Amino acid sequence: MAFMSTRHILLGLLASGPSHGYDLKRRHDERFPQARPLAYGQVYTTLQRLVRDGLAEVEGTDSDGGPERTTYRATDGGAAELSRWAGEIAPPAPFVTNEIFAKVVVSILSGGDPAAYLRAQRTAHMERMRELTTVKAAKGADLATVLSADFALNHLDADLRWMTTTAARLTTLTAEVDTA
Amino acid sequence: MTTTLHSDLRLAWQLTRGSDRREWWRITLTATGAALATGLMLAAVSLATLRGRYQVSVGAGLLNQPGTRAGVIVSLLLLLVPVLGFLGQCARIGAVHRDRRLAVLRLAGATPWQVRRIAALETGLACLLGSAVATVFSVLLLLRLWDHPTAPAWTGLALIAVGVPGLGAAAGALALRRVVTSPLGWVRRSGPRTGRGPGLLFVAGMLLLTVAALLAVAATSSGAPYRPGPPPPLMVLGAVMAVGAGAIWLSGAAARLTGRVIAARARSASTLIAAERLRDDPWAAARTHAAVLLVTVVGTGFVGVRQMLLEVLDSPRHLSENQSFYTTGLDLTAVALALALAITLSGLAVGTAESLATRRRGLAAQAAAGVPRTVLGRALLLETALPLAPAVLLSGAGGATIGFGYALFADGGGWSLPWTSLLVPPAVYAACLLAAATALPLLRRTIRPAELRYT
Amino acid sequence: MSIGDNTAGPLLAGRGLVKAHGRTEALRGASVDLRAGEILAVTGASGSGKSTLVHCLSGIVRPDAGSVTYAGLRLEELPEKRLSELRRTDFGVVFQFGQLIPELTVLDNVALPLMLAGTDRGRARSAAGEWLERFGVRGQAELRPGEMSGGQAQRAALARALVTGPKVVFADEPTGALDSLASEQVMTALVHTAREAGTAVLLITHDAQVAAYADREVQLRDGAVAPLGVTA
Repeated sequence: MAFMSTRHILLGLLASGPSHGYDLKRRHDERFPQARPLAYGQVYTTLQRLVRDGLAEVEGTDSDGGPERTTYRATDGGAAELSRWAGEIAPPAPFVTNEIFAKVVVSILSGGDPAAYLRAQRTAHMERMRELTTVKAAKGADLATVLSADFALNHLDADLRWMTTTAARLTTLTAEVDTA
Repeated sequence: MTTTLHSDLRLAWQLTRGSDRREWWRITLTATGAALATGLMLAAVSLATLRGRYQVSVGAGLLNQPGTRAGVIVSLLLLLVPVLGFLGQCARIGAVHRDRRLAVLRLAGATPWQVRRIAALETGLACLLGSAVATVFSVLLLLRLWDHPTAPAWTGLALIAVGVPGLGAAAGALALRRVVTSPLGWVRRSGPRTGRGPGLLFVAGMLLLTVAALLAVAATSSGAPYRPGPPPPLMVLGAVMAVGAGAIWLSGAAARLTGRVIAARARSASTLIAAERLRDDPWAAARTHAAVLLVTVVGTGFVGVRQMLLEVLDSPRHLSENQSFYTTGLDLTAVALALALAITLSGLAVGTAESLATRRRGLAAQAAAGVPRTVLGRALLLETALPLAPAVLLSGAGGATIGFGYALFADGGGWSLPWTSLLVPPAVYAACLLAAATALPLLRRTIRPAELRYT
Repeated sequence: MSIGDNTAGPLLAGRGLVKAHGRTEALRGASVDLRAGEILAVTGASGSGKSTLVHCLSGIVRPDAGSVTYAGLRLEELPEKRLSELRRTDFGVVFQFGQLIPELTVLDNVALPLMLAGTDRGRARSAAGEWLERFGVRGQAELRPGEMSGGQAQRAALARALVTGPKVVFADEPTGALDSLASEQVMTALVHTAREAGTAVLLITHDAQVAAYADREVQLRDGAVAPLGVTA
């Protein structure tokens, strides 16, 4: 996955009000259900960097009888940075780097069997797409789940289409080489 | 101008040549219809140019007297009514496909006039073919029967030979007016729909016919040495025209009403399908059905009058020295009526076949979904049977009134009533169902799974 | 296998199907199994023989060679009349478009299969109404198919395919003419209803996102089933 800013996501979660680290992690995993879960340590270091850069500040601490928790909130600078980032376009695929693509190229170069690889990869992709579709089509699926499943499905579909075209290209290419 | 006409002509020719078998069917049938129309009109005009008494070698003396000649002319012109109905039905063959093709031409940058010209050429050429064939044979026949045809006769011949294709071309262009105004709408549109009431084409044809017949009758009768009361041909003509105009409206209205009434109460699938189709497009078959009604009225009336006349001729009250003069007249009328019925039935069969061809993908999908072919076939027959039943009944009643009226009042009355005429409406009805049934074998071919393919 | 015994093997099985259209061979020995209640996607490039496969499996066309067995019945041994009846009672079909009669209201369209089976019109219409409700197009019941959106028309077509409680629904590119949201609604409705009713679905599509609604996928290539990749 391309560059994804944990800083800005945490800033976004803080926009709805002050929050402490554990709460932020829980809400992140809820909002981005199909994403890799955030490690608590990563939340903690990111928050410290936000404070260092003046984008967030410590609101206070409470313990509620349990371990002590620090509550953070976004500064005005943080809100400005968030809105700048949210409006900024993401560069459309500046570098074509993808594991599937790389494997096919390497396989062709090294005289491997790219077609067999593509078939296997297709099966794996379809398997994952069925999982995501089941999640999405389940009764009572919430919006965040539907949106994230949809996003992933469309990307997997794009991969699949590239793989299908490539498999067809390889067949034509082999046929041409054989007849030559 | 000549170059554009040339390129339009070439485009029309290419479109026709590249089109499927159905288009060739349309051309053949349209040419046949045009040939029939030309032949009938040529005969009528040749007779109309005769003045006074003549010795004509055919027709058992019927053509010798101006009075009876006028009757023959009117009958010839009346025969044009079913022919026009038939031509109208032919114009519908492949109509959806053709409309879409011409709309695509429009989208590709053709001007409205170019599209009109191409369409006019497509129909006009078919009509020209038919008219040319008919003219050649008519002229050959005329030269054998008539030593020196007069100048008016030649003029009439030429006018008709050129006029029929001209009218065909005009009708072809006229039928396209909606395609020309909104090309996009027609490109997207898939369903066939005849839309508004009685076809403009048909009404125009009827008007033209009436005027022509009036002129012919007036011209021929003027030289008549005696005049027994009001000229009967004129009266008959007027009555038939009135009935004809009513018949178009009646058949459309009957179709709509039957559709509406039966759709609400239908118990079986086939009745429901047929009724809803009628309600959706009641005018689809109105042209042919109108011709059926006309044939029924005239046929029923004729059979009644014929029975009476024969009785009168055979009776001692009538001392006839020339029976064959009358019987030939009756027989010729019967032949004309049979011809009219045959043309009408062909129109009906063509219409039914076309309705199948237009819906072939939908029908194939129905069959694939397990709708039995018998249900689809029954729906097809019901579509003809349902609206015709009340209309034939009514027109039969009208015809019978003529026959019975004649029996009661002609020759002082006192003759037996013409019950035989009551057989005509059921016979016509049965013949119509048979004509529609000729399309059933086509249904089998239509619902091929190949029609389910989309690409 | 004895007649009616459909627990042991597949509900519907095509074996070595061969079918030529003129000189082009659409199917060259394709074999497919469909288990009861299963949703199976058949995918493949255009011209790979997907539609012909469905036509053979549903008894719409007879294969040139090979056999189709449904619940112990050999379809190639049945007369056309019996096949038509089978399609009416045990099978449901949905195409890309064209399966609704344009002149009938949506409600009458859905009621039609029941009427053909002998149900009287009143009861057929009320049952049809319930199915339209299930597919969320009850409000369009009195419209003609041409007056609905493409997605609504396809949902009505699904209602028509399922109204008789078939064992198998054949769906040939049911979302082929729809945008992705309408397609999603149609597929969700199909999958939920088929699962509730225990209906098996044979879904033909060239769209991987649509195929992902199925439990399993069979890929056709040049008229035969292509080997699936092996994931290590």
